[in-house]
Amino acid sequence: MTPARVILNEIQGYHRFIKFLIFLVFLAAVGSAIRFIFGLGATTNLNDTYPWGLWISFDVVTAVPLAAGAFTIGVVAHVFHIRKLEPLVRPAIVTGFLGYSLVCVGLMLDLGQPHRGIYVLFPWNWNVHSPMFEVSMCVMAYTTVLFLEFLHPVSERFGWHIPLRLLRNLQLPFAILAAMISTLHQSTLGTFFLIAVDKLHPLWYNPLLPLQFWLSAIFTGLAIVILEASLVHRYMGQPDESDLLATLTRIIPWVMGVYMLVKLYALLVLAEGPFFDRPVLTTLFIAEVVVGLLLPFWMFLQHRIRADKAMQLRAAGLVIFGLVLNRFNVSMFGMILPGQEIYAPNFLESMVTVGIIAAHILFFVLIAKYFPVFEHHPETVDYTIPDRFRKIEGAQPETKAASHGG
Amino acid sequence: MTNHWNDIQHADVILCIGSNPAENHPISFKYVEKAMDRGAKLISVDPRYTRTSSKADIYAQLRPGTDIAFIGGIINHALKNDLIHRDYVVHYTNASFLIDEGFDYQDGLFSGYNAETYSYDKGSWKYQTGAEGRPLRDPSLQDPRCVYQLLKAHYAEYTPELVCEITGTAIQDFTAAARTLCETARPDRAATIMYAMGTTQHTYGTQNVRSYAMLQLLLGNIGIAGGGINALRGEANVQGSTDMALLYHVIPGYLKSPEITDLGLAGYLAKITPKATDDKSTNWWSNTPKYVVSLLKAWWGEKATAANGFAFDYLPKRGGNYSFIMLMDRLQQGGFDGLFCMGTNPIVGGPDSLAIGAGLAKLKWMVAVDLWETDTSVFWKRPGVDPKEIQTEVFLLPAASSVEKQGSVANSGRWAQWRYKAVDPPGEAESDAFIIDQLYRRLKDLYAKGGVFPEPILNLSWNYGDGHEPDIEMVAREINGQFTRDVEINGKLYKKGQQVPAFAALQADGSTLSGNWLYCGSYTDAGNLMQRRGKEDPTGLEMYHNWAWCWPVNRRVLYNRASVDPDGRPWNPKRTVIAWNELTGKWEGDVPDGPWPPMNKPDGRYPFIMNAEGFGRLYAAGLADGPFPVHYEPMESPTGNLLCAQQTNPAVRPPAKLSNREKFPCIGTTYRVSEHWQAGAMTRNLPWLVELVPDMFVEMSEGLASWKGIKNGDMVTISSERGNIQARALVTSRIKPLRIGGRMVEQVGLPWHFGFAGLAKGDSANVLTAAVGCANTTIPEYKAFLCSIEKGGIEA
Amino acid sequence: MSGRKDFSQDMAFLIDMTKCTGCRGCQVACKQWNQLPAEKTAFFSGEGYQNPPAMSEHTFTRIKFRDYQKNGQNEFAFYKEMCMHCNEPACASVCPVGAFEKTPEGPVVYHSERCIGCRFCMIACPFGVPKYEWSKAFPLVRKCTGCHSRVKEGLEPACATTCPTAISYGPRGAMIKEAERRITAHPDKYLPKVYGKEEAGGTGVIYLTALPFDELGFKPVTMRALPSYTWQALRLVPGIFIGVGGTLSAITWFQHRKERIRKAQEEAQGTTPTAAEDSANDHKENPK
Ligand SMILES: Nc1nc2c(c(=O)[nH]1)N[C@H]1C(S)=C(S)[C@@H](COP(=O)(O)OP(=O)(O)OC[C@H]3O[C@@H](n4cnc5c(=O)[nH]c(N)nc54)[C@H](O)[C@@H]3O)O[C@H]1N2
Ligand SMILES: Nc1nc2c(c(=O)[nH]1)N[C@H]1C(S)=C(S)[C@@H](COP(=O)(O)OP(=O)(O)OC[C@H]3O[C@@H](n4cnc5c(=O)[nH]c(N)nc54)[C@H](O)[C@@H]3O)O[C@H]1N2
Ligand code: SF4
Ligand code: SF4
Ligand code: SF4
Ligand code: SF4
Ligand code: SF4
Ligand SMILES: [Mo]
Repeated sequence: MTPARVILNEIQGYHRFIKFLIFLVFLAAVGSAIRFIFGLGATTNLNDTYPWGLWISFDVVTAVPLAAGAFTIGVVAHVFHIRKLEPLVRPAIVTGFLGYSLVCVGLMLDLGQPHRGIYVLFPWNWNVHSPMFEVSMCVMAYTTVLFLEFLHPVSERFGWHIPLRLLRNLQLPFAILAAMISTLHQSTLGTFFLIAVDKLHPLWYNPLLPLQFWLSAIFTGLAIVILEASLVHRYMGQPDESDLLATLTRIIPWVMGVYMLVKLYALLVLAEGPFFDRPVLTTLFIAEVVVGLLLPFWMFLQHRIRADKAMQLRAAGLVIFGLVLNRFNVSMFGMILPGQEIYAPNFLESMVTVGIIAAHILFFVLIAKYFPVFEHHPETVDYTIPDRFRKIEGAQPETKAASHGG
Repeated sequence: MTNHWNDIQHADVILCIGSNPAENHPISFKYVEKAMDRGAKLISVDPRYTRTSSKADIYAQLRPGTDIAFIGGIINHALKNDLIHRDYVVHYTNASFLIDEGFDYQDGLFSGYNAETYSYDKGSWKYQTGAEGRPLRDPSLQDPRCVYQLLKAHYAEYTPELVCEITGTAIQDFTAAARTLCETARPDRAATIMYAMGTTQHTYGTQNVRSYAMLQLLLGNIGIAGGGINALRGEANVQGSTDMALLYHVIPGYLKSPEITDLGLAGYLAKITPKATDDKSTNWWSNTPKYVVSLLKAWWGEKATAANGFAFDYLPKRGGNYSFIMLMDRLQQGGFDGLFCMGTNPIVGGPDSLAIGAGLAKLKWMVAVDLWETDTSVFWKRPGVDPKEIQTEVFLLPAASSVEKQGSVANSGRWAQWRYKAVDPPGEAESDAFIIDQLYRRLKDLYAKGGVFPEPILNLSWNYGDGHEPDIEMVAREINGQFTRDVEINGKLYKKGQQVPAFAALQADGSTLSGNWLYCGSYTDAGNLMQRRGKEDPTGLEMYHNWAWCWPVNRRVLYNRASVDPDGRPWNPKRTVIAWNELTGKWEGDVPDGPWPPMNKPDGRYPFIMNAEGFGRLYAAGLADGPFPVHYEPMESPTGNLLCAQQTNPAVRPPAKLSNREKFPCIGTTYRVSEHWQAGAMTRNLPWLVELVPDMFVEMSEGLASWKGIKNGDMVTISSERGNIQARALVTSRIKPLRIGGRMVEQVGLPWHFGFAGLAKGDSANVLTAAVGCANTTIPEYKAFLCSIEKGGIEA
Repeated sequence: MSGRKDFSQDMAFLIDMTKCTGCRGCQVACKQWNQLPAEKTAFFSGEGYQNPPAMSEHTFTRIKFRDYQKNGQNEFAFYKEMCMHCNEPACASVCPVGAFEKTPEGPVVYHSERCIGCRFCMIACPFGVPKYEWSKAFPLVRKCTGCHSRVKEGLEPACATTCPTAISYGPRGAMIKEAERRITAHPDKYLPKVYGKEEAGGTGVIYLTALPFDELGFKPVTMRALPSYTWQALRLVPGIFIGVGGTLSAITWFQHRKERIRKAQEEAQGTTPTAAEDSANDHKENPK
């Protein structure tokens, strides 16, 4: 049997949902090809009025905070040393790694000169005044860090114990570094829009935008972890982590609280109206704040809800909805000037974005399938024996479970 | 132009009437705005609110074809309130001249009218004369028969109320314009009039211009800096081509062209040379014989001798009216075998263009000499005709453009400026000079083999070198003029072949030749003065006498002897065009209109040296349709004449195809836009310009649009008795209906740049216009006709 | 970023809309000098004779027409849209690869060979000037060059050279002085405002007009240099970076203390460490 055959057989074995994902990813790949052949103008609804569309608003501005779980949970688990949360770290890192990799893919599609992407690295091009410069640097750096962190399960899988040992020792410094880098670019994504003084609507435009982007990234990161763990539990037969998650649900409202105070202060003190001059924007704003912020905040405050798996999930869902809406409000809706024709992504754009999301899930599942992502008690692995790679009992079933998954 | 472009900046009031310089003479606006920076007021009088109007201090809307009423009203305002420059009027105009008792004016008609022939017997249109034929004058301007009193009476009925009834102008706009203009009656104030096709393209276009000129004379604004009456000429070198006798009724230098009735040189000269009866009058045209003979010598050289009347017989004689309309009419009668279209595109530019298209098909052959494949040159494959039916053989000769050849270009200010060849013509393109030269040589060879009356061609003196094409410098030298033998002129000896220094030196005895007396002085022994680029400005009036050369004799302001009082002191010392220096006994400043001392000095002369009597004419007997302008209605008008019983110009025969008011209720007018050039070949083939104005449109009022249910951008059909066209509707508040005799009348405006050939195609506005022309010039009445407009294109 | 503070010697445009006749010579001259293709237009794309519909990869400057009535009076106004050549250009500040440059002569130029095509400049420009080559598969940005190549040689920009009436070109300081002179000389004729003197922190194109700017279709812009808005956040970056790093390290050290203590005690008791504790060792070693 040729390797190709092997792969095909393997794929045939997959659950049809996975196959569907593969199909979506394939479509997106085709879409991207078309974009490069016919150009952005012909294949997207982008134009000089809307230089940035879905691909920036979602694939970058939104995807980045959604991938924030990796660093937040890293900090919580390693820095604050809440060891019982460590099991949540690896999946988060995998999600983060995938998230950032796909952000890069999204950017490549959106850039007019993708092949020049690395020009950003050339010192003679550096422009420290450019938020974009800063974000690009961070994203590249952070993706590398995530990659290294991701090597962890990989080398575990293949029993490269020396790197493993090394990585293990780097775990904490990486967690800190990750937090440092993330703080910068998560907030700087907000700085992007500080330049749009006369474009972004006062409901969202204010000098504290970066801080808000950072804070919202943090609690959304945690919310993502909750969502992920719950789904994984539900669909991939992983053990129920809700008690661990409950810990997170206690942290989230704190950050949300701070966020809300900052947002309130920014609106009341720093921003200059008129705020409610445009009904549509007003509605979007209310939806964002009430449904995506106040409601989940209230929910997380309820002990009953925190304890309840299903409710945890819903609350987390709302938080995520809130963030997505917020990022779109800032990067798209809020930037539409009165009387301007409205932009809506066309089929190809949407197809590509959907494909990217699909890719995310797909790769996650596949990685989980072939690598020890849900390594429950990493410290129970004995790395001391150099000659051969061995696991002690107890870890086994999970990895199996994982392979049943999907 | 009596003045010149740079001079506009010295005006205190600028009247743009019948012109739209912001769009059609953009560079001139530089000087308009220079004047405005000094506080000058700009008045725009136009049926449409144009890009010029947008810059004006006063905008007065008027109905197409009512300029005489409008200006008549202002003349009345000036006379009634004595807002005239009295000294100027008394001393320099014929206001004080007494007019023959037989002359009179009744309800739109002057004495001597013949309704059958649509013409006047001008016998009674003359000055009363006394001893040895001197005109009688009353400097007190009291005599009821003096021009001043007749004028006053003539325009008394042009009251603001009646004027605005006719023109549709808002009365406050009219009075504002009248007041502002009349402020320049003061000696130290100047108003200039910038006019063009809105003025001339009417059945009484010449009288429109007359009315402007009369107003300027009354205000003392002719001959002074910032004054004058300035025709904004059209085609880049149309001034030059008219100087060189583009028009049928003249030969080079505006000498009247001979007619078949002129049997000999002597008789012809006697007929066309005016006589002066007053020794204070220079009567410059008394030099006519010198100019005619020098011209004949230039054309037939040695073969033109005193014996053969300087080959006068060789000169073609005209047997009638060869104006554009007449030629096109004859074309339609099948009166021509062949046609040369050398730099013209009549199927787009000519009135009643469908008829012209039909006429072209009657030709055996046509030669189009052009930069582009014009609509005219492809008339045989225009929409709606079957090429198989058309037998005309068409030759298209590619021409070199203005930058691909050298030569002089004369601008509206009469400045002849030399241009150099920048690049070689593309492909097979050749200069017009080359084409004419080839034509001549081949005709000569043919005539050499025989033919009827070959001498004029065979004997033509054609010495322009033997290069690939005629040596333009040699042509220029000949136009200036040379001595044909050694002669002594008041003490100075000139050798044979030497350049004539100035037209004062031209002779009637054949000792000089000159292709155009007006250009005598442009190419002297000092060289080609048209090439000069000196920026010295001693007068401080930006006359730049060392920049190029301007006819006559490098005089920048015509009639400048009228810019000083009879003692030679400038009316306005702040803007001295010329001044008499008592000590040196000489004029200083611009080249004076003749060297003679001011009028009051012994052997002084009157300022208007081109008129036999030496005075500016408020009363002009020369014109076909009357000594004073009268308001008549355009051939096609939405209203009866509210002023007098005579509806249209009595000296113009109404054409066959006329649109009537009932069927065609809207006034139509045609005009230009900055973005296109004329019949469009030059611009409709240039993508950069097509981008700006891509297709034919029609401007209409919001009222008319809503009445017809038309929205901006809709395709509409515009119809007249001659045909119908389609265009996109441009609905704008810049176009307003006019209140005429208490009734609202709608008007639509159409650019005439579009045609069926080229990169950007569209219907030609001239499908709608009528082939009827001015009584004096027969320029077609492009600016006022009747039409109707409906929603939907022609297909629809 | 130029980092300069004095721009009075930069070459600048003074565009006097009260003198603009809407002849559009500038628009054509620009296409001619920059050899830009014509756009396919239909009828007019706006009021009056306005065309093309907007500035674009093929159109660096455009005359905007306004054709309306104001208390019974016709207003037929024209104004020239082009790059404002800001003193402190937003486009330049946001570009991740520094593809925009504020030249010492004044024009803000674009180095296409650097551009990665992220279009941030288009988002950032308060005047919506940079346009994109949407027609291409690998597009670049296009905009008015200020005719830098001409200006460097001491020529005026193509549009300014062509303009018969409205455009003056010279040192910014002088242009502003001239603008103010005109306003004081004809208070009746001008709106008492020199647009571009402060707008967006000062621009290299200065407008005079008789009609209110909003009426002409000028979008409101801040009076502050745009880069300062992002810089006020970006300048904190190093601080934050170190700050976050430091705090987290501190927290770590503190959080791991307990464990070290326990370990110490255990060693005192001499019990052999389990695999678990073993791994804790790794932890413990890190901070060293
Ligand atoms: N861009 C451009 N410039 C040109 C040309 C061109 O084709 N394009 N053509 C050149 C040539 S050959 C010429 S002759 C000149 C012509 O130059 P203009 O005479 O300025 O050209 P038009 O637009 O035909 O007419 C001028 C104005 O007269 C107005 N008008 C119409 N009827 C009347 C009337 O009865 N009374 C008054 N007072 N105004 C009236 C029209 O509304 C129009 O705005 O332009 C020259 N310059
Ligand atoms: N309805 C309406 N009709 C009008 C007018 C109007 O106002 N309204 N205006 C009238 C007026 S004022 C005029 S002047 C006429 C103009 O009518 P035309 O003269 O027929 O119009 P143009 O398009 O100027 O034609 C000039 C041609 O000469 C060509 N050409 C340019 N340079 C050269 C050269 O060096 N050599 C040669 N051989 N050819 C060259 C150009 O390509 C162009 O095709 O139109 C008249 N028609
Ligand atoms: S087109 Fe030529 S002639 Fe006419 S205004 Fe412009 S520059 Fe002068
Ligand atoms: S106007 Fe826009 S593109 Fe031009 S310099 Fe200023 S910011 Fe840059
Ligand atoms: S599109 Fe090019 S020029 Fe504009 S910001 Fe991005 S890299 Fe810089
Ligand atoms: S400065 Fe140069 S590039 Fe800019 S608009 Fe003027 S001509 Fe065009
Ligand atoms: S060239 Fe000058 S006058 Fe003509 S449109 Fe441009 S700015 Fe206005
Ligand atoms: Mo003309």
